[in-house]
Amino acid sequence: MEECYSGQTAQSRKTAMQHLCTSAFAPHSYTVQECDATADAIKIKSRAHKKILLLIIIIFLSLHSIAQQKITLSFKNVVADKLLNTDSNYTNQFGETFKVRNFKYYISNIVLKDAVSNRSQLINDYFLIDEKIDTSKTIVLTTSLQQITGIEFLLGVDSMKNVSGVQTGSLDPENGMFWTWNTGYVMAKLEGSSPAAKTPAHAFSYHIGGYKKEEEAARKISLSFKEAVNNTNKIIITADVLKWFSAVHDIKIADIAFCHEPGKLAMQLADNYATMFSIAIEK
Amino acid sequence: MKITTTIFFIFCLLFIATAWIGFTPAKTHPLQFTVPKGWQQPVYDFNSNPVTEEGFQLGRKLFYDGRLSKDGNFPCASCHQQFAAFATYDHSLSHGFNNTFTKRNAPPLFNLAWQKEFMWDGGINHLDLQPLAPLTDSNEMAETIDDVLKKIKADTAYKRMFKAAFGDDMINTQRLTKALSQFIVMMVSTNSKYDRVMRGEDSFNLPQRLGYEIFKKKCAGCHTEPMFTDYSYRNVGLPADSILNDNGRMKITQNAADSLKFKVPTLRNAQQTFPYMHDGRFYSLMEVFNFYRNNVVQSATTDSLFKHGMPLSNYEIGQLTAFIYTLTDSSFLNDKRFAPPERQTFMQHQH
Repeated sequence: MEECYSGQTAQSRKTAMQHLCTSAFAPHSYTVQECDATADAIKIKSRAHKKILLLIIIIFLSLHSIAQQKITLSFKNVVADKLLNTDSNYTNQFGETFKVRNFKYYISNIVLKDAVSNRSQLINDYFLIDEKIDTSKTIVLTTSLQQITGIEFLLGVDSMKNVSGVQTGSLDPENGMFWTWNTGYVMAKLEGSSPAAKTPAHAFSYHIGGYKKEEEAARKISLSFKEAVNNTNKIIITADVLKWFSAVHDIKIADIAFCHEPGKLAMQLADNYATMFSIAIEK
Repeated sequence: MKITTTIFFIFCLLFIATAWIGFTPAKTHPLQFTVPKGWQQPVYDFNSNPVTEEGFQLGRKLFYDGRLSKDGNFPCASCHQQFAAFATYDHSLSHGFNNTFTKRNAPPLFNLAWQKEFMWDGGINHLDLQPLAPLTDSNEMAETIDDVLKKIKADTAYKRMFKAAFGDDMINTQRLTKALSQFIVMMVSTNSKYDRVMRGEDSFNLPQRLGYEIFKKKCAGCHTEPMFTDYSYRNVGLPADSILNDNGRMKITQNAADSLKFKVPTLRNAQQTFPYMHDGRFYSLMEVFNFYRNNVVQSATTDSLFKHGMPLSNYEIGQLTAFIYTLTDSSFLNDKRFAPPERQTFMQHQH
């Protein structure tokens, strides 16, 4: 109501009211004087309303601008210092050459931190990073933090989502990152081939999952920046495939070409992939 | 002032009213899930998937639809037949895609709202997830979730039914499985002679009554009333089949202490669910009793209740059989709500 009148002068408003009263409401015994009084009341009230409205707009805009801080996370899959390509040959720490056909992992429970230990959490967001799908490698987050000093996330899907039935979106079992025979998400998947693999078509395939106690394959990743990052920056998170074969445990393709169930081996591979991330800032 | 306020107020009302019309989904008809007297509260979370007539009928159509399998021949109902209490009648193992056999005996389906873990090895932790295993297994329905969704999305009847059940015609894995769950949780078997006797509406004859006394002494340790299973995993001392080589629960837990353990099956409707055991090796109750009294194999994981086998006289076997037959719920086996939808389309209009 206030907005309708805001562009008009008080006089024109008064005239408009008089016109309304005399034409439309004349049969209901309104006099011009009464209309004048009403118009004055509106004038006073609308001033107060204007101020309140302005205040609301200011508050809203300031809140809006805080919520609008955007941070872009960009995932880059590499093999040591080379960018990962699904048609290139690479060599691991044991001299085994290999190709990667498929590389996917879940990122969830992202937390951004600033220097004064403020934390900005995005609990309900689950992202499936898929080497084959470029758009999956960029995550845009909104945060109220001004200067970001670190980031934490879960590589994998928390146990809660492993025990709550069928999910949607990136967690839809349709995405092929879910075990139907032994309920649970595949947290990360690395598939390819290597002459070293003593398997049909020299295939190797690591499907790493497990959410139960003593089978946990999700890993909490914590990364810090050397200098604080502000919201205009893009954060590059690099994932090094080579770490799967040797970091905490040595996994030779010749010895272990398959891992398709939760358990000790899966957790060893998880210990390895927990070390695969590094972080950089692109200004 | 009063009039402008009134006009403003009316505008607001109109605005809210149009929003209401725009966002109110088509009305669904809730179905009542009744917990039988003396039974525990179900473990299935009805809040996250409230059962409606529309969802139930959608689940029913899906349950009987061959398109959920790769070649169209294997709907859920091909292995889960109503006259066999939704197990596979007279089959040790069930038929799957491309002349395959399943590796285990199909379990009957009823009272699943009370069950926490599914499959003989308990590998599946939620009823909504259960259909995805047979649907994708190469020796069962052998289809991919993706293809099932594609086939269903192409069918306008399904679009209509998804819209009626869920408010809009979006079709995804979650809705598909929730609809199946709505159909399956309503399968409650609680009207056998045993149940009627417990409710004081009927009485056992002499062999049934004697059988019940023997049952409480010798069987109820695992086949606990009223579900007739305690849902535990046990090795009853069956010698392992050298071809199937099935370690049971150990496949899920990776724990050697779980080797050869399988979920205790319910005895409700056992008369209809033969053959028995996880691989369906025994075709009659007599064979089961003979195994328990003569052939229990002692191993590291054999259940302590069977450390000395289970002595049973011919007399006891006779009475126990009479009692087990009182667990047959013919009203459930013939309940038209669970029959294929073609024959019972009028049900959709009964409210």
